[in-house]
Amino acid sequence: MVDALVVRDLNKSFKAPAVSGLDLVVRPGELYALLGPNGAGKTTTLRMVAGLLAPDSGTISVFGIDVLKDPLAAKRIIAWAPDEPMLYERLTPLEYLEFVAGLWNVPPDLAASRAEDLLRTLGLWEDRNRRCEGFSRGMQQKAALAGALIHDPRLLILDEPLTGLDAAVARQVKDLLQARVAAGATVILTTHILEVAERMADRIGIIQRGRLLAEGTLDELRAQTAGRGGTLEDVFLELTGDHGATRTSNL
Amino acid sequence: MSGAVARIMRGNTAGLLFHELRLSWRALLARSGGGKQGLVIAVLLIGGLGIFAGVPLGLFLRNYQPPVSRLPIILTDLALLAVASLMISQTLSSATESLYQRGDLDLLFTAPIAPRKTLAARFMALAVTVFMTFALMATPLLLPVALIGHPSWLAFYLVLAATALGASAIGLALSTLLFRLIGARRTRAVAQFLAAIIGAGFFLVSQINTLFGKSQAHGIWAQAKALAMDEHFQLPPGADIPLRALLGQPQVLLGYTLGAVALFFGISTWLGNRFAADAATASGADTANAPDRVHVARWETSAFRATFRKEVRLLWRDAALVSNVLLRTLYIIPLAIIVIRSAHGMDGFALAAGAGGLVFMAGQVAGTLAWITVSAEEAHDLLAGSPTSQVVFRRAKLAAAYLPLIAFLSPFMGYLVWASPMVGLFAIIGCTSAAFACGLINIWFQKPSKRKDFRRRKGSSWFATLAEAVIASMIGLATTLAILGTPWAAVPGLIAAGLLVMLRRSDAQIAQAIED
Repeated sequence: MVDALVVRDLNKSFKAPAVSGLDLVVRPGELYALLGPNGAGKTTTLRMVAGLLAPDSGTISVFGIDVLKDPLAAKRIIAWAPDEPMLYERLTPLEYLEFVAGLWNVPPDLAASRAEDLLRTLGLWEDRNRRCEGFSRGMQQKAALAGALIHDPRLLILDEPLTGLDAAVARQVKDLLQARVAAGATVILTTHILEVAERMADRIGIIQRGRLLAEGTLDELRAQTAGRGGTLEDVFLELTGDHGATRTSNL
Repeated sequence: MSGAVARIMRGNTAGLLFHELRLSWRALLARSGGGKQGLVIAVLLIGGLGIFAGVPLGLFLRNYQPPVSRLPIILTDLALLAVASLMISQTLSSATESLYQRGDLDLLFTAPIAPRKTLAARFMALAVTVFMTFALMATPLLLPVALIGHPSWLAFYLVLAATALGASAIGLALSTLLFRLIGARRTRAVAQFLAAIIGAGFFLVSQINTLFGKSQAHGIWAQAKALAMDEHFQLPPGADIPLRALLGQPQVLLGYTLGAVALFFGISTWLGNRFAADAATASGADTANAPDRVHVARWETSAFRATFRKEVRLLWRDAALVSNVLLRTLYIIPLAIIVIRSAHGMDGFALAAGAGGLVFMAGQVAGTLAWITVSAEEAHDLLAGSPTSQVVFRRAKLAAAYLPLIAFLSPFMGYLVWASPMVGLFAIIGCTSAAFACGLINIWFQKPSKRKDFRRRKGSSWFATLAEAVIASMIGLATTLAILGTPWAAVPGLIAAGLLVMLRRSDAQIAQAIED
């Protein structure tokens, strides 16, 4: 079976290297959490996978499609949802979904039924005719997520999807993502909430200074720290060498 | 923070005023897009104008003492009325922005400072900003004239400051009244429309003879002169106060200034508590937005149509933008009417010049709209991440930008083609070329940013704005010359084409510029 995402020797520099020789493989139908400290290169990597940023070198393949050679074909099966919702404040959620469905050429009947399903599932149906400018952060995030799902992507890439959400909305989003994975979609997400990765992810990748430090299930990661790590947080801090947290706790 | 600044910033009214003025100054720099470079250019322009126009004017007027008679009184009153109306328009627009939209009142109100002080500083900052705008415009001509033989005319600055205080007070009262009558969201929209209409109002009134008069157009000068000669027309009491104040007559100047100060402080004190309550309401107003009318979904299968529809919706729903466009299109009306009346009367030169002006304005309006549709993109990554070529988005965004212009100009053009087919044809070609050229410039020099940052042409590069103006004027000139039947029309046409070729940027260059 073709892998959902294959990244080989990926490099990108701005003023300093952001991603350095990154190799990454995500299997179809899995929920993959990409973790790393601030500035580790997670968002840069995902933006390159989504075709938003050109790498300096390396290859990216999504379900066998070369993202760099045939970006439009790759984009047809990818959805990208950044931490800051990509919304138009003066459009209603329904108008927003109309627009996004048009961009992906979703047939009208299918788009209409998917939009209703998504808005109902995410609890936005009653607000479908209100402009997004008055929405709370959670409602905006849900509307943006509905937009990301309207074309039923095979690979869903989410950057910090749970940031700023209250517990109820976060639960809705997590349930939706797990339902997508159960339906066969592949999800890659970044998060600083390590409990989320611990509970949801099939596999976890830890990235630092643009390189993959470790990868695997939680048990496999624990094994890499020679049993010193208990929770994912312990493993993460051990692998990234960020003992600042420990020092701070001693203050 | 320097010691002096730290001393000022101690939470008193002066400190708050300093804070407000610093924010206004930085917003101005951000709008000019050039930072320090833009500032240097502005200083050079003002200095150059002062040396090459102000000084000769000062020498010319050195021994002139205007009499306090009917004509100068009428002209001064009209000029002050125009300035005051523009000041009210500016205050109305800035008041809604700084009082209801900037979102920092919560911070200031939670500080241990009386809300009265905070609001007084903000009101004062509005008046100072308004004053500075007009003082800067007048200085290159006025300062040399005052220094060369008319030191008492420096009273102009005091009169201008007093007028700014009075106009700001009226603008603030109007925006509070609107808020009370129609609520926060509509106030923003209506204030923007009112600001545009008041701003353009004086211009339109000055063109009233062009719009409705006989074949000969009269300017303000001719109208004022006729009024001064009319023995039946009685000047209202106090009509001479502005002129006497401007000439520096101490008692009148003091009275005018004190009157404006009293008006300002009276209204701002009276409004202070109301504003605090209104601002608190406004900060929560967005979350209580009413639903739009029930929407019948139209699912598009084409990215072009979906983008076009999205852009048209967003244009229509952006009150600040619509008022900006309205302001510009209002200036087209007299030009269009000159063209139509000239076509009807077959006045060759006026017709050609009017058509050229129309072409220039069409380019400017198209440029403004294209700048918004192309660069004001809240979800740039959504478009970049979709399986649609960027060319499709550009076409759709330009098509949406041209739609209001086409709707507005079509009746004029239709009439022109009917009345004078050749002139109509040249005008259509000119308007289309100017709009297309200005659209292309806005694609090549796009700066994607959030729509809310585009209330004016914020973020636009001065270079692109200048290029638009030069190319649109060249195409306008070519149209004028073509209508006059001279082959010299080819020269400005070729210059415009040459400039466009020089400015052209490839897709890769555009992408690189955006990334930078």
